[in-house]
Amino acid sequence: MYLGIDVGGTHTDAVALDESGVAAQVKVRTNHQDLLASIIEALEGILEVVPARDVAQLNLSTTLSTNAIVQGKLEDVGLLVTPGPGINADEFMLCRDYHVLGGSIDHRGSEIERLDEDAASEAIAACRKAGVRMFGCVGKFSTRNPLHENTLRQMLGPEGGEIADSVTLGHELGGRLNFPRRLATAYFNCAVWRVFGAFADAVEQSLARLGLAHVRVNTLKADGGTFPLAQARRMPVQSIFSGPAASVMGIIALCDITLDSVILDIGGTTTDIAVFVDGQPLVEHDGINIGSHPTLVRALKVRSIGIGGDSAIGVLGEVVRVGPNRLGPSQADCVAEGCPCADDARPTLLDALNYVGLADHGNVAASRQAVEAFARCHSIGPAVLAERAVTAAAGAIHAATRELIAEINDKPVYTIHELLEGRRVAPKRVYVMGGPAQAMKEPLRRRFELFTVVPEHAGVANAIGAALTRNTASLELFADTEKGVMFIPALGHRENVPRVYSLKDAERDALNHLLGHLAEMGVIADGDNAQINNASSFNMVSDGVTTGRNIRVKCQIKPGVAFTLTGGGR
Amino acid sequence: MREAKNSLGVIFFPAFDWCISPTHPEREERLLYTQDQLKEEGLFDIEGIVEHKPGVAAREDVERVHFCFPELESVATRSHMVAAGGTMTAADIVMTGRAQKAFALVRPPGHHARKVVHGSRGFCNINIEAVMVEHLRERYGKRRIAIVDTDCHHGDGTQDIYWHDPDVLFISLHQDGRTLYPGTGFPQECGGPRALGRTINIPLPPGTGDEGYMTAMERVVMPILRDFAPEVVINSAGQDNHFTDPITNMNLTALGYARLTDMLGADIAVLEGGYSIQGALPYVNLGICLSMAGMDYSGVREPGFDVVRHGQRPQVAEYVDKLCDAIPDIYFNPPKLAPGKGERIEGDWFVRDKNIYYDTDAITEAQTESLFLCDSCRGVLKVVSRSTKNPDCLGVEIPLHACPACRERGLAIYDEGQARGGYRYCQLIDRPGGRCLRSGF
Repeated sequence: MYLGIDVGGTHTDAVALDESGVAAQVKVRTNHQDLLASIIEALEGILEVVPARDVAQLNLSTTLSTNAIVQGKLEDVGLLVTPGPGINADEFMLCRDYHVLGGSIDHRGSEIERLDEDAASEAIAACRKAGVRMFGCVGKFSTRNPLHENTLRQMLGPEGGEIADSVTLGHELGGRLNFPRRLATAYFNCAVWRVFGAFADAVEQSLARLGLAHVRVNTLKADGGTFPLAQARRMPVQSIFSGPAASVMGIIALCDITLDSVILDIGGTTTDIAVFVDGQPLVEHDGINIGSHPTLVRALKVRSIGIGGDSAIGVLGEVVRVGPNRLGPSQADCVAEGCPCADDARPTLLDALNYVGLADHGNVAASRQAVEAFARCHSIGPAVLAERAVTAAAGAIHAATRELIAEINDKPVYTIHELLEGRRVAPKRVYVMGGPAQAMKEPLRRRFELFTVVPEHAGVANAIGAALTRNTASLELFADTEKGVMFIPALGHRENVPRVYSLKDAERDALNHLLGHLAEMGVIADGDNAQINNASSFNMVSDGVTTGRNIRVKCQIKPGVAFTLTGGGR
Repeated sequence: MREAKNSLGVIFFPAFDWCISPTHPEREERLLYTQDQLKEEGLFDIEGIVEHKPGVAAREDVERVHFCFPELESVATRSHMVAAGGTMTAADIVMTGRAQKAFALVRPPGHHARKVVHGSRGFCNINIEAVMVEHLRERYGKRRIAIVDTDCHHGDGTQDIYWHDPDVLFISLHQDGRTLYPGTGFPQECGGPRALGRTINIPLPPGTGDEGYMTAMERVVMPILRDFAPEVVINSAGQDNHFTDPITNMNLTALGYARLTDMLGADIAVLEGGYSIQGALPYVNLGICLSMAGMDYSGVREPGFDVVRHGQRPQVAEYVDKLCDAIPDIYFNPPKLAPGKGERIEGDWFVRDKNIYYDTDAITEAQTESLFLCDSCRGVLKVVSRSTKNPDCLGVEIPLHACPACRERGLAIYDEGQARGGYRYCQLIDRPGGRCLRSGF
């Protein structure tokens, strides 16, 4: 039996399921002061139906790290930074204990300037004096040569030792090039490390108490995959913003998606839009932003717009609009059966759906009353108002989707072949989930003019997605045969390679290391799910003579689910 | 968090699947390290700096600039059309206000491509700046445009295309032609009879460094630009004047280039040459981007600068000073029309003979170019060309804003050329009529 828990902004959803279907599902209110309490409450609900010994795995999507960041509950971090020449590094000052050190590495990974170890010692001493126990060491081009980061690590001593409780090295965050993102990612990883660790301890203790000590625990990531809790303790930053991914993965579990598709998750306040290409969710090119800081945290490409069931209806002149602001729940939800709603009650999209008869949710009479009162205020017929509101919502979702698709198709490419013959994304289907999914199906179908599906269990698709999401991992390999080195930053693996090392060798090594790394974490990954995303090899020429090859390989375990529950759509 | 003062659109297209030949300087690897550097610096995460995909130039975009013999397809590959399209995208971005400035980081380059194209010269087939300039005129109605070519090689192609155009100011700063390909670009080359002083050549001595370039900018380029008051300023931003470049002898640094860019304040920059792909391009391109975006570029520093080896010698400064004393006069008091070597006046026509060698493709071309000396417009241009690749070819250009008489004249020459000129190929650029015609295929 697979358990999935999605701790969301309003509700915490939990499901237990196996190949035969959903065995139990629970929805509880999220207690933001004590996320653990919400998780335990949901688990207890599940365990009333499912015996603890049947549970093999628990996948957890939690807002813990996100909340810690949003609420500013961040620990002080000492950042030891070797930016080298380029954009002024003071612009990236993320925290008080931010120390810029001399030393630089160039784009080929050659050391241009030695690390200023004296300055590093002084910086470490200053951090100790300030009581800092978390350290991030980040250098420009450290993903090409981690020499300076590794030296700093040595100087900081072992984790849990005299100086540092935890050290995050920039290159271990992945091989992508982007120094400012690397810096911000390392910072946030350090800043939430302790609070995530404490949470993980508490989860494990609670599981033991509930008789679930034998359960494999995974944490959801924003890229539509999971990673083991032990790994999450090291890289807690990867666990942020996993909510939208849970929903997207839910759709994969519930529907057989093979074509280019649009996924719409219509919630209370927002609609999340995701795009599938050839049946696979698209991953954000760079990484998500935490606050105003772009990071390297991989995420599914999800666009959120402020339109949901509880979005307020507004009238401006002749134009009826929905959202983006939410002025509280819909009248259908907040007015008790048989009571009149307040005089100045503001109807929402859900009320409009109730009015036009597409929905039959909660107190329909209150919805009708609110729509009529609001329509009177603006001298429009209530039916017209409701109809236009629904059309406006579908229109806004459609416009945002088009914009997203255009952005995907406008993504820069770097070869003539891709530019002239590149594949363009053209959605053929729309999958809708979330509370108002069924009600919005028809208006959306009319607007998109595409085959529109609302899957079964659409209400708990997020928890189903959480439960069934597989482990994912990705890594980048960089080889330079002129220097005779191959380097996999994420694993800190560097080895010498012969001059004849080729792109084929690099692809093979990348995949082997990826699977090996997963095996080390206790994950048995199916080799078939491993794929090369990007592989290129450039001949390096100097004075008219080929001196070597510059090879880059990117590979991943593609996001997916353990099995599907394709009972068909409604 | 970080924000650009000027919004900047960067059209980055490294054409990772195209080369002239595997070990040619113009190969796949050329912009690889530049891409690495820009990515690692997080350039495109800066608010206001956006990366764009290039468009692809259409046949008419190129045909309104060049006479391609025998035809466009045989002289331009898809990569040339993409590079040209990239410059047009840059123009579109600035003209439609999507960004204040744009930088087309595209390859292959184009500034050695002349009006007539039989093949590749100096790694160039299609003059991508000229394609952009004519696009600016055709689409956005711009007329007065300045092109400042800072590539280390003389921009002889661009000079040739705008030789007779008084509305285009072309200024080239380059290593003295006596010491470097293509061997032209002397101050006395200052434009055709109707555009005297609108071509300005500043041949700098080998070993010119940041100071020399800044002197030339301050004392020659900027005063002339201010006086000309163009609607659009374009920088042909070749980067082979860097002290690490393998095929030239100048000593400019990345920081010096950023300062130069800052002073020039071009609306659109276009990458031209530059073949120190590891030691210079990553840093120079970063410097140009930051400078155009109005950001602090003082931290841009490439490895390997040695004051003793790469510093500018005092003699160079003296020489540059003397140049700067003399050159502004060419613009402000252009010389009177006097046919030089290979030039003559035949009736109402100004005629010059040219021999052109296409080094990359090993083609030799002999050309006779005739300009009708019209009193009410730029005058119709007639070019007769033959090369080791093609027999006699005729090109007729009726320029924008041509007077009706010149238009008639141009059409008549084209018709006559087709009927009994004995030309294998004829091409007509009819700008007032908005069309390009070809015959002989």
